[in-house]
Amino acid sequence: MSSPALQPRLRVPRVAQDAVARARLTVVPRVRSRAPRVPFVSLVTLVLVGGIVGLLLFNTSMQQASFAASSLEQRADALAAREQTLRMELDDLRDPQRVATQAQRMGMVIPAAPVFLDLETGVISGARTPALREDALNLLPQEPVKPAILAPKPTVVTVRAEASAPQQATKQARRGTARRSGQPNSARR
Amino acid sequence: MPSTTPSRDVPSPRSRERGGSRGAPLVRLRVGFVLIAMVLSFFGARLVQLQAMDPQSYATMAAAEGAVEVPLQAERGDILDRNGVALAGSIKGKMVVVDPLLTRDEAPDLARLLSERLGLDYFRTLAALRGRSESSRYEYVARRVPSTLATDTLAAVDEAGFRGVMLEDDPIRDYPAGDVAANLVGYMGTDEPLGGFERTFDAQLAGEDGLATWHSSSSKGVRIPLRESTVTAPRNGADLRTTIDRDLQFFTQKVLAQAVRTYRAESGSAIVMDSRTGEILTLADVPTFDANKPTEADKEDLGSRALNDVYEPGSVQKVLTMASLLDAEKTFPRQRFKVPGSLERQDRPIGDWFDHGTIRLTLAGILAKSSNIGTVLAADAFTPTQLVGYLRAFGLGAETGIGVRGEAAGILTPGGQMTSQTKDRVAFGQSLSVNVVQMAAAVNTIANGGVRVDPSIISGSATTDDGTVVGTDVATRRRVVSAKAARATARMMERVVDPEVRIAPRAQVPGYLVAGKTGTAQRVDPECGCYNGFSVSFGGFAPADEPRFTVYVVIHDPAVDGGGGSITGPVFSRIMGYVLGRYGVVPTQGRPSRLPVEW
Repeated sequence: MSSPALQPRLRVPRVAQDAVARARLTVVPRVRSRAPRVPFVSLVTLVLVGGIVGLLLFNTSMQQASFAASSLEQRADALAAREQTLRMELDDLRDPQRVATQAQRMGMVIPAAPVFLDLETGVISGARTPALREDALNLLPQEPVKPAILAPKPTVVTVRAEASAPQQATKQARRGTARRSGQPNSARR
Repeated sequence: MPSTTPSRDVPSPRSRERGGSRGAPLVRLRVGFVLIAMVLSFFGARLVQLQAMDPQSYATMAAAEGAVEVPLQAERGDILDRNGVALAGSIKGKMVVVDPLLTRDEAPDLARLLSERLGLDYFRTLAALRGRSESSRYEYVARRVPSTLATDTLAAVDEAGFRGVMLEDDPIRDYPAGDVAANLVGYMGTDEPLGGFERTFDAQLAGEDGLATWHSSSSKGVRIPLRESTVTAPRNGADLRTTIDRDLQFFTQKVLAQAVRTYRAESGSAIVMDSRTGEILTLADVPTFDANKPTEADKEDLGSRALNDVYEPGSVQKVLTMASLLDAEKTFPRQRFKVPGSLERQDRPIGDWFDHGTIRLTLAGILAKSSNIGTVLAADAFTPTQLVGYLRAFGLGAETGIGVRGEAAGILTPGGQMTSQTKDRVAFGQSLSVNVVQMAAAVNTIANGGVRVDPSIISGSATTDDGTVVGTDVATRRRVVSAKAARATARMMERVVDPEVRIAPRAQVPGYLVAGKTGTAQRVDPECGCYNGFSVSFGGFAPADEPRFTVYVVIHDPAVDGGGGSITGPVFSRIMGYVLGRYGVVPTQGRPSRLPVEW
């Protein structure tokens, strides 16, 4: 089947050809924008590059901050530990046992009863009792409990009565007899 | 196969050549598709394997790459005295651990460095550095090293070029005053509390550990920013505030220890109570132990004898009997009694501690001279039920519940089951048993005008490990005897320390009115179940006319002959004198009691 669109063309007289030619639709040429492209491209490039560089810098600074943070944290930890150690030393210095020992070494004694002086009236209340050297506290710590192996039962050696008298021993010593050797030690037990 | 398109003209030799070497396009296409399909199905299978069968393992591996997980140790709460001074405190510490794989080769040099710096045993350190087994990657070298020392040591180790030494958090529990209040505060084991308040109030003290996770790119633990990091903050333990006064506790322990040593006694306890609030300022036990070195102490010394052991109170108990009789208005201080030298009762005769014929004593005299016979005669006005009712109201036979572990309630036979013989003995303090805090609280009832205040050792309130709430906030008060009866009893007790009566003049505190009572009781020996030795005690308060403090001292099984007046009286006086001065209690200007003792 031939195309119907072609039929009129055959009938068109030659004279009308120009008109036909003029009436034929043609593609309108595209209007070329003359706006400069460079600024836009450079803006986009700038934004992209700026973004990337900014991100890089931001990341770097975050890294740096992280380094700084962890070194500061370590320092804070060290300082906190130091503070606690110092406080422990202070507590040790405040230990009543130490304070009492120092005070007694300086000759101070806790009195048996207090005496009060009223600063406004100058009245003294309470019985005045001398604080004597004998009143000093016995500050020795209690003896540590030794394990059985270090605290064996004492060995008791029964010595005959005649050897136990020290005078006898000295007499024997004066006589200068060889018999005394080894005996005085056991006699003095 | 020469050609598949016969309709075409004769193929050029070039194209035939190509077709011959590479095959026809359709075939090539098919082969290519098959290959691609095979590859893609491998991919697909792998995808299914990764996503459906085992989706987590790679995700975890990815997350674990460079992940750091740090447990954040909760700081253990302090145990404080009433002024906020630490009886037990925690400081940051480190444990030194090594990886033997890295340290094995240089073990001797590294061991020398570590043992010198940290004060360790060289050979033990060497063993740890070499690894206790071939495959070991983790060995403890030292635990509870103060943080500063540990980090300094690690810096020195790094400087010397050794590898494989690491530090981990390991808090140190410190008891700055050593043995002061150690029996109450308790002590810590390697990782857990083993006794005393440390254990009873562990839930409050321990807190809860936290956890921090982050990703790190270096061995120094620097975080990678913008990567996942979580922090669960630790919840630090809360402090526990007690009513103990540390300096007073120290003084009391020293005075008591001196007495126990002097009289070669087995043990002793002393307590100081605030008469008005029932707060225990001091609860001393001898022998005690150093809380920093609990393993060096005798196991029996680790608890609080004042609460864990019971004994027969002896004559201090007469104070309670007298106050009850006065409250019931069965007697009065000047009532006259004829006291025979021996009293025949149903099962056996009752005697006094001193030999006498028939003497004429007032009620005050019976208390002052501590006559068993007189007390029994006076207590005849009571039935067993009445007496036991009063004693229960004073708090005997029931736990005080102050929050000390393993408290023994003591024995007080119920009134309904009590024979009259037992009642006679209970009236003067035998055939019943008490602990130190019970007895002190009972004597304190007289000091506090007849109102018993529950004793407490925790300031505020705290919950024990069995869920009981204890402390000053929950302490209750109840009237046991009338104010008049309490006052009259106190007046009679003043006569005990009177030098004229010659019972316990050495319990006197110069300048103050003191009310007190001696006690010398036969002591039950748990080994034979019989009476063997004595428990001597002294309980009292001062100033007698306006009581501020109650002090009670008991010394068990002294090897030297003596009674409550001569052994515990001076201890009482010393402690009372110190506490009155420490708390600025000015002597009252009251007149001493002149109640007649004899008639």
